[in-house]
Amino acid sequence: MSDRLTTPAELDQPIAPAWSTRALLDRFGMLLILPLLLAAGGIVSPAFISADNLSNLLLQFAPLAIVAMGQALVMIVRGLDLSVASMMATAAVIATGFSGSDRDVATIFAVALAVAVMIGLLNGFLVTKRQVSPFLATLATMILLQGFRFAYTQGAPSGNVPPLLRVFGAGKFHGIPYNVLVLVALAIILAIVLHRSTFGRRIFIVGGNPVTGRLFGIQSDLIIIACYLISACLAAVGGLILSGYVGLVDNWVGQGYELDSIVACVVGQVSLQGGRGSILGALTGAAIIVIIANEVLLLGVPIQVQLIIKGAVIVIAAALYARKDN
Amino acid sequence: MTGAANLRIEMPWLLRNNAGLAGVLVLIALVCLVGAAASDRFLSFNNFLNVFEQTTDLALVSIGQTLTILAGGIDLSVGSLISLTSCLTSGLINNNPDRVVVVVIAVLVLGTAVGCVNASLVVALRVHPLIVTLGMGAVLQGVTLLYALGPVGRVPRGFNFLAYGRVYGLPLGATLAVLLCILIALLLRYLPLGRQVYALGDDANSARLVGLRRTRILMLVYGTSGFCCAATGLYLAARFGVGQPYTGVNYTLASITPVVLGGTLLSGGKGGVVGTLFGAFLIALLNNLLNFMDVSKHYQLVAQAVIIILAVSVYVERRRTM
Repeated sequence: MSDRLTTPAELDQPIAPAWSTRALLDRFGMLLILPLLLAAGGIVSPAFISADNLSNLLLQFAPLAIVAMGQALVMIVRGLDLSVASMMATAAVIATGFSGSDRDVATIFAVALAVAVMIGLLNGFLVTKRQVSPFLATLATMILLQGFRFAYTQGAPSGNVPPLLRVFGAGKFHGIPYNVLVLVALAIILAIVLHRSTFGRRIFIVGGNPVTGRLFGIQSDLIIIACYLISACLAAVGGLILSGYVGLVDNWVGQGYELDSIVACVVGQVSLQGGRGSILGALTGAAIIVIIANEVLLLGVPIQVQLIIKGAVIVIAAALYARKDN
Repeated sequence: MTGAANLRIEMPWLLRNNAGLAGVLVLIALVCLVGAAASDRFLSFNNFLNVFEQTTDLALVSIGQTLTILAGGIDLSVGSLISLTSCLTSGLINNNPDRVVVVVIAVLVLGTAVGCVNASLVVALRVHPLIVTLGMGAVLQGVTLLYALGPVGRVPRGFNFLAYGRVYGLPLGATLAVLLCILIALLLRYLPLGRQVYALGDDANSARLVGLRRTRILMLVYGTSGFCCAATGLYLAARFGVGQPYTGVNYTLASITPVVLGGTLLSGGKGGVVGTLFGAFLIALLNNLLNFMDVSKHYQLVAQAVIIILAVSVYVERRRTM
């Protein structure tokens, strides 16, 4: 399909004028929640807005944000990726599968990304060519990865994370964690791809209405597969970074990230019905989750209540946006 | 396709309604064939009773899950609800035989009530059931941990009869699960509300246009799912002798596998509980076979994933994402 076939509709501007106050609020309004949350946290417990804590907050924010961006892409094309957490853990196990010295870092990245590409392709293939529901397809690959991981480690993983990876996962450059730098680079690339490129526009068209996409001559299957591919690769990178943060290997690195990343996207106004969403939204959602979790922790609220708060936040956020979607 | 059409005419209603059921039966037959080749004890009656007994928990929870999926939804709060009910069972009974009846009834009522709350939230907030039940799952897990951070209470000696007891040679828990399944299958087929579950799952818009009451249908399916979770919680408390706050964690996603293997479409409107029962049996049988073949538990997961992928790629008939 050559670019000549790009139709006017594809190039059309959004319905609202791009720079009206309303449109700006619509697009960036949820960012305003962040300073409010930070201020509230600071009032309740002054330790919250200390430079140290903010820097730690960023450290925890990066892995979730990286995974959430991939999840957002998949959700925009009407999918879901439940295999991200399993992919993260697999990448973490791969990180310790070599000698544990710095010269293997490149190999680790290559192997982890190769596995991610295979998983992404499998997810995309099942969803598009075999028409399996995304929930189920990614659930199956999640179990598949888990099985291989356990078979490989015999349930008791061992080995060391290379020091360089630890620097990436937990190190800071003048208070700014390296993993945030990685995140920013990835976020800029993805934002340009999603919001400023032909490929990105096609993602929204396929997600908004697959039939329209087909009528425009867009190969929607390829677009969808690409989204699953990107999500799996981001999960692998997130897993490697998280393994550097955790420092020791464990079969369950990243556990809970599949749901947290979905929640981050929903909170960040990425529509579960597909066709709506943004990289900024995914980032904001991830930030909100990390901030709330951290605040709750500093308040000394027990983990049980944290879970209850989290559950309530998920449902309330989704309910607030539900009207918009309809 | 013509083959399938011919089958439809000849098969009894159970199969006619449910092409996936034929698929799961073929898979069970295949596993049996491999099993017969692997060990002469595999096909023994006793082994089958064992597998049947091991199917109980998965069968119970996925029967409820089938209903929510048939209606076009999903219930991701099952794991936490199972943990909560199993903790409450052993914690409240606390080794006092006099309380058994009251607590069992209370737990079943509680499970059903939680399901109804799920349904109400789906209707009132107009949020996808995936999100509602996910949130509910987190809340319930929190409540469970508030009640107990570790194993709590004890069940009296006789209570484990539910899990290990045999009545006329048949395992009690599994038999009850089968009876529940048959009851629900009949209700789905002969009760108007039961048939409306299929209508709603098949096409929610048309269902609304012909005046079906969505609230009522959702109350039925999520209530039943909650009831089934409570029953699973009771069973697990009986099996382990104690309730644990994380005992149900794995059931959330595991409960979906038998449903899909049994030929129920994840997009709703097609399938049934009988297929789910066989799906749960297939998983237990597969694990049993792999045990016989000395395959490590880790590869059992791989095998399960491969079976899911094979099954769903073969069954799927139409495109509709959830």
